[in-house]
Amino acid sequence: MSIMEYNGGSVVAMAGKDCVAIASDLRLGNQALTIATNFEKVFPVTERIMLGMAGLATDVLTLRDRFRFRVNMYTIKEEREIEPETFAHLVSSTLYERRFGPYFIEPVIAGLGKGTNKPFIASTDVIGCINFAKDFVVAGTATDKLFGVAESLWEPDLEPEDLFETISQTLMNAVDRDAFSGWGAVVHIITPEKVITRHLKARMD
Amino acid sequence: MFLTRSEYDRGVNTFSPEGRLFQVEYAIEAIKLGSTTVGIRTPDGVILGVEKRVPSPLLESSSVEKIMEIDAHIGCAMSGLTADARTMIDHARVTSQNHSFTYDEKIGVESVTQAVCDLALRFGESMDNESAMMSRPFGVALLIAGIDEKGPQLYHTDPSGTYTRYEAKAIGSGSEAAQSDLQDKYHKQMTLREAQHLILRVLKQVMEEKLDHHNIQLAQVTKTDGFHILSETELQELIDTMPAAPAPGAA
Amino acid sequence: MSAQERRFNPYTENGGTILAIAGQDFTVIAGDTRQSEGYNIQTRYAPKVFRLTDKAVLAVNGFAADGNMFVQKVQQRLEWYQHAHNKEMPLRAIARLIQTMLYAKRFFPYYVYNILGGIEDDGSGAVYSFDPVGSYEREACRAAGAAQSLVQPFLDNQIYFKNQLPPSGGAHPKHLPLKEVLSLVIDSFTGATERHIEVGDGLEIYIVTASKRPNADLEAIANLKQVPGGFIGGEDGEKIYVVRRELKKD
Repeated sequence: MSIMEYNGGSVVAMAGKDCVAIASDLRLGNQALTIATNFEKVFPVTERIMLGMAGLATDVLTLRDRFRFRVNMYTIKEEREIEPETFAHLVSSTLYERRFGPYFIEPVIAGLGKGTNKPFIASTDVIGCINFAKDFVVAGTATDKLFGVAESLWEPDLEPEDLFETISQTLMNAVDRDAFSGWGAVVHIITPEKVITRHLKARMD
Repeated sequence: MFLTRSEYDRGVNTFSPEGRLFQVEYAIEAIKLGSTTVGIRTPDGVILGVEKRVPSPLLESSSVEKIMEIDAHIGCAMSGLTADARTMIDHARVTSQNHSFTYDEKIGVESVTQAVCDLALRFGESMDNESAMMSRPFGVALLIAGIDEKGPQLYHTDPSGTYTRYEAKAIGSGSEAAQSDLQDKYHKQMTLREAQHLILRVLKQVMEEKLDHHNIQLAQVTKTDGFHILSETELQELIDTMPAAPAPGAA
Repeated sequence: MSAQERRFNPYTENGGTILAIAGQDFTVIAGDTRQSEGYNIQTRYAPKVFRLTDKAVLAVNGFAADGNMFVQKVQQRLEWYQHAHNKEMPLRAIARLIQTMLYAKRFFPYYVYNILGGIEDDGSGAVYSFDPVGSYEREACRAAGAAQSLVQPFLDNQIYFKNQLPPSGGAHPKHLPLKEVLSLVIDSFTGATERHIEVGDGLEIYIVTASKRPNADLEAIANLKQVPGGFIGGEDGEKIYVVRRELKKD
C-alpha cells in the first residue's frame, strides 16, 4: 500500500490567457472506502494565488495551516502580498525541511503575478522539487490520466471560460477512470478581477 | 458382385488384390436391410422421414428413434444398424458443441458431415488411447439435414466415409423404388408442405404396413425454427391433408 | 538466514501502446513501434499490429515474445479453419477463438493484451478487447498498454462524449467519421509520446473498410497504402490500409 494512495484525490492546474485555473476532486477515502465527498483540496493563499494539495489528507490539512502561517508572516514582515513564484519557493523550502521524513503531499500552485497578471502555475514533488510548467501541472492518484487528457485537450492562450471548460473536462474524464478520485469536483478560475469558483456536477461512483 | 470373395473379406484394414475393402462393402450392403429413410431439400428447409418398423403390437412405437438432433440447426435420420449411429451422432454433437464454444457461431452442415465421415474410417484403430478399438466399419448410413449460411442442405454419408449432397435422397430397404419416385416427383421450388406430403407418399408406397402416425417419423429443419421432430398430432394432421392423387404442383 | 531461492522470470514488459476505434463501416487499429526493455530501447520499429484476414486486424501489447508467438498461432488457426470450413473466419469467431486460445493458457498465460479490430459479418466496424487470460468484450473503442491510463480517459471524452451534454433536442453521434477518428488516434499517440517514455518512434495505423464502402475520403490521407491480402471479396470486398507516421524519438 502506498501512503500516497491512502486517502486518494487529484489536483490539476492550467494556464490560460491572463488567467489560471486550478481544480480538485472532492473524495476523501480510507483506501477503498469513501469517507467524505466534500473534501476540497484547493485553498486560497492570497487574492490571486491558490494552492492545491493531493496526497495524505492529514498532511493536506496540516500544510494548509502551516502555509497560511508562513504566508501571514511573509506579508507582515515584507508588508506586501506574496508573488506566486515566491510562494512556490516557500512551498518548496517548507517541504525540503522534511527531506528525510517528508509530508506525503504533492502541491500544485496557480496564481497571477501582481501587477503583471502573468499566469503562473507550478507543482512540486513530496520533497519540494519544483516543476515550473507553462501549460499545466497535475498531482494525485489520477496523475497519469490527467496528463493524458490534458496533453490532448489543453491549448495555449485560452480565455477564462474556455479554460474552465478545458480543466473541467480534463479533471472529470481523468477521475472517472480513477477509483481513488472523483465524487464531485471544484474548479477555481483566477482572473485579474476575481476568482470564480464552480462546483461541477460529476459522476458519483 | 462378390465372386472373387476370399480370405480378404476378413480383415477390416486389408485391401484385396483388386483393391477392395470387403468389410466396408458388406457394411454398405447392411444398409440396404435397414428401414426406408427419405430426405428432401427445399428452399425453405429440409424434411427427413423414416419408416418405423413395428413388428409387434406390444412394441411401444414411440421408443423407436430413427431421427435425432445434432444441434439446433442440424438433424439426422438413419438407416441400417441404428445402434452404430449413436456413436456417430454423439461425435457429431460433440463436434458441433465444440465448434460453437470455440468460434461463437453455428457449425456448417458440411463440416459436421465431414466430422462424422472422419470417424467412419477409424475402424481398426484404438480410440482415445484406450485399448478399446472400433473393430469394424459402421453399419449405418445417415441423412444429415441442416441449415447454415449456405442455406438448407441435405447430405448422405455411408460406411466408407464418403459423403454426397443431395436435393432428395432415399436410403434403406425401399430406397430403389423410393429414389425413382423422388426423381419423378421432386422439383427445386417445392414448398415445405409439398415436401412433407411427398415424403409421406414415398414412404407409403414402399411400406408394407399401412402408413399411420405411429409407424413413421418426420422431422424438419427450417430457418425460423431450426430442427424439429413432428409430434404425432402434427403427423396425423399431415396424413389427413395428404392429397389422394399426385401432390399439387408435382410434375 | 534463510536460503535464497533463485528463479527464472519468464516474462518481460516491452512497453508500447495500442488503440482501436470502430466506425460505422470501418475500424481503425493503431500501435506505436517502439520496443523497450526497462530504460533501453531495443528497436524503434517493432510492429504490434497485424493483418489477420481481409476483415480482421490484431494488435498485441505487453510481452513482445508472447505477442509475436500468439499472433502466429492465431494465424495458423485461421488457416486451419479456412481449410476445414471453406470460408474466411468471421470477426466474432476470431474473437471467440482468441478467448479460448488465451484461456487455454490460464495458468501460464501469454503476457499480452489483445485488441482485435475489423468488420463484422453485418458490415459494421467492431473492436474486441481482451485481457491476458481471455476475458473479452465488444466495444466502440479501447486503448491498451503502457499509456492506456493516459489515452483511455481521453477516448471516453472524445468517442463516448463522457461528461459532455448532447446538443439540445439531439443525441451524441454513435460513430465518428474516419477523418475525425484518425485525428483522435494521432492526438492520442502524440500525447502519449509526450508524457510516456515507453511510447514513441513510429506510429502504424491500420484502417479496415467494409465491403462496398465509398472510400473517397481515404484519398486525403497522407502516406496511405493498401495492405495486400487474399481479396476473397474481390474489388467490392473489405479492404485494409495502413498509414505510417513518425513519432518523437526522445
